[in-house]
Amino acid sequence: MEVLDKLKVLADAAKYDVSCSSSGSNRSNKKGGLGNASPAGICHTWTDDGRCISLLKILMTNYCIYDCIYCVNRSSNDLLRAAFTPDEIVDITINFYKRNYIEGLFLSSAVYKSPNYTMEMIYQVVRKLREVENFNGYIHVKAIPGADQEIVERVGHLVDRMSVNIELPTEESLKLLAPQKTKEKILKPMSLIKNSIIRNLEERKKFRSSPKFVPAGQTTQLIIGATPDSDLKILRLTEGLYKGYNLKRVYYSAFVPVSNSPKLPALKYPPLIRENRLYQADWLLRFYGFEAKELLDEERPDFDLNLDPKCDWALRNIHLFPIEINKADYNMLLRVPGIGVTSARRIIQARKFSSLTFDDLKKLGIVVKRAQYFITCNGKHYGIKSMNDELIRSKIIDKTSLSEGAIQLSMFDNHHSNQIGGLLT
Amino acid sequence: MIYYVYDGTFDGLLTCIYEAFYRRENPDDIVPMDKLEENFLIQKLFINTDTEKSAKVYRTIEEKISVESLKRVFYAYLSELPKSGRNILKYLRLGFKIGRSIDDNLANDVVRTIDKISNKVTREKHLFLGILRFKMLENDILYAALEPEYNIVGLLAPHFSNRMSNENWIIHDVKRNVAAFYNKKEWVIRDFTIEDRLVLHEDEEEYEEMWQAYYKHMAIESRKNLRLKKNNMPMKYWKHLVEI
Repeated sequence: MEVLDKLKVLADAAKYDVSCSSSGSNRSNKKGGLGNASPAGICHTWTDDGRCISLLKILMTNYCIYDCIYCVNRSSNDLLRAAFTPDEIVDITINFYKRNYIEGLFLSSAVYKSPNYTMEMIYQVVRKLREVENFNGYIHVKAIPGADQEIVERVGHLVDRMSVNIELPTEESLKLLAPQKTKEKILKPMSLIKNSIIRNLEERKKFRSSPKFVPAGQTTQLIIGATPDSDLKILRLTEGLYKGYNLKRVYYSAFVPVSNSPKLPALKYPPLIRENRLYQADWLLRFYGFEAKELLDEERPDFDLNLDPKCDWALRNIHLFPIEINKADYNMLLRVPGIGVTSARRIIQARKFSSLTFDDLKKLGIVVKRAQYFITCNGKHYGIKSMNDELIRSKIIDKTSLSEGAIQLSMFDNHHSNQIGGLLT
Repeated sequence: MIYYVYDGTFDGLLTCIYEAFYRRENPDDIVPMDKLEENFLIQKLFINTDTEKSAKVYRTIEEKISVESLKRVFYAYLSELPKSGRNILKYLRLGFKIGRSIDDNLANDVVRTIDKISNKVTREKHLFLGILRFKMLENDILYAALEPEYNIVGLLAPHFSNRMSNENWIIHDVKRNVAAFYNKKEWVIRDFTIEDRLVLHEDEEEYEEMWQAYYKHMAIESRKNLRLKKNNMPMKYWKHLVEI
């Protein structure tokens, strides 16, 4: 098969993995080498679905020994199969990189022959890029569950990021859709990577020169909507992963029907709004100081599709509002709908000089249309007369639900770091 | 109405700032020579660039105000937007009065105006770090053409000199006819136009074809969202992309 045809097949097979971020690493170029990593991450183009392309995201091969029902590469699927040689991947990566098409490589693979064999192939590519080609751009690889610790560690010393995809958020779901996988098999490499990162940080305190281990950290992906698992279950798992496994990111991928197995739900479209709500909640956990239990509970295990999780939280806790914009501390400002991380910082900065009026907030870029119900400026309230949550809810939904009905997906990593990076650089 | 007119360089602009303070004048705008529009009612004062004076202003901004302010002023200059000379002068008048605290004073109109312009330039620069496309020429030189809103070639060059330190490359703003040249050691910016057709490396087409195929295959049909794509990457930037 021609390399071009392999590329088509193995890009197709990789595209349902949503992670494409190139952030979090500050690897610098070496003498005579090619490439470096940009800590904020860089997007190189956007596809027709509006997602950013930052890395060359391909599978080594889509020949798979597993038969997971949700997966397009399952062994029972009648599908064109292909496999790259390590040299082919190295050549495409280097030549794409020189033309500034990409930030680096995201190499994943179906499980070919055995987990160890597959991981060893990935190692071949990464070693050649780093040691033969002197390539110092960003590399993200998948750790294949079941591969030996020794190979995973060898790879980890050469790459910027590693990930293990959990895909299905509960054991029951795994049993149903991926009977050859178990929770233990998936979590084992994750804790292995986590422990190696911690050990490496300790080592680097003593010996600055010891090589970094997975400096951009590890991530995972969860599939949304292939199983009946609630948002609460997913968000609790997410919280546990951030706290217990020090994950850098959890990605959510709305299930795109790739099979008509009776074990899968009959979906016409991927549940994109639900996916978006989970990303919003994920942001609230990581940057806004929220906990999963504040956002959802057993009585309300799923997010309201008509309203974002932060607004929803504020309306359920309407007794905490309105807050005075000139007095509230940073953490409370962050909890106001319409005020984000950037806006909160700006408010704190600007109010040092003079107390802020409602007009000032507009100028600072606060979404006052939303924030007005929840704040006062020098004691004056600009929302509606009563602090009735139902009334405010109807006001907010009227204004947003229709325009938001269209698919909104602007929560991807690079976009965000772009905003933050924009402030810092 | 008095306009100060300078040669278009940053040194020229800073010289104008120097003169405005030194002469205790308040020009209504500071404009580069090539942007000057004929207007009977405007009195034009041509200021000769003096690098000693500009260096003084540069240092004073750094010391008396802040590095952040120097960056904002420089980026506002690169924006080439109308009235940016006037806005910079206003900003610096305030800055010399209140010092470093100007950085955070975003509720002030003068500060916010410059901050906004500077952010626009920063954003475009960041976008181009990603969407710049090099073509390999037959002599192994990497050549990229771009048409940015703002004059950002000089902001892109340091990034690529780190990243592609072992290549020869040219980043060419074909709108302004300037380019950054890098020879594996250092980069310089010069006026530049191309008369002849570029001769591409024999492999160039093959990799472009691969990139186009990759780009097409990455999109997920059932998630199609062209509006989001255009929000992230406005159409005015599509012209030099290989994949679209």
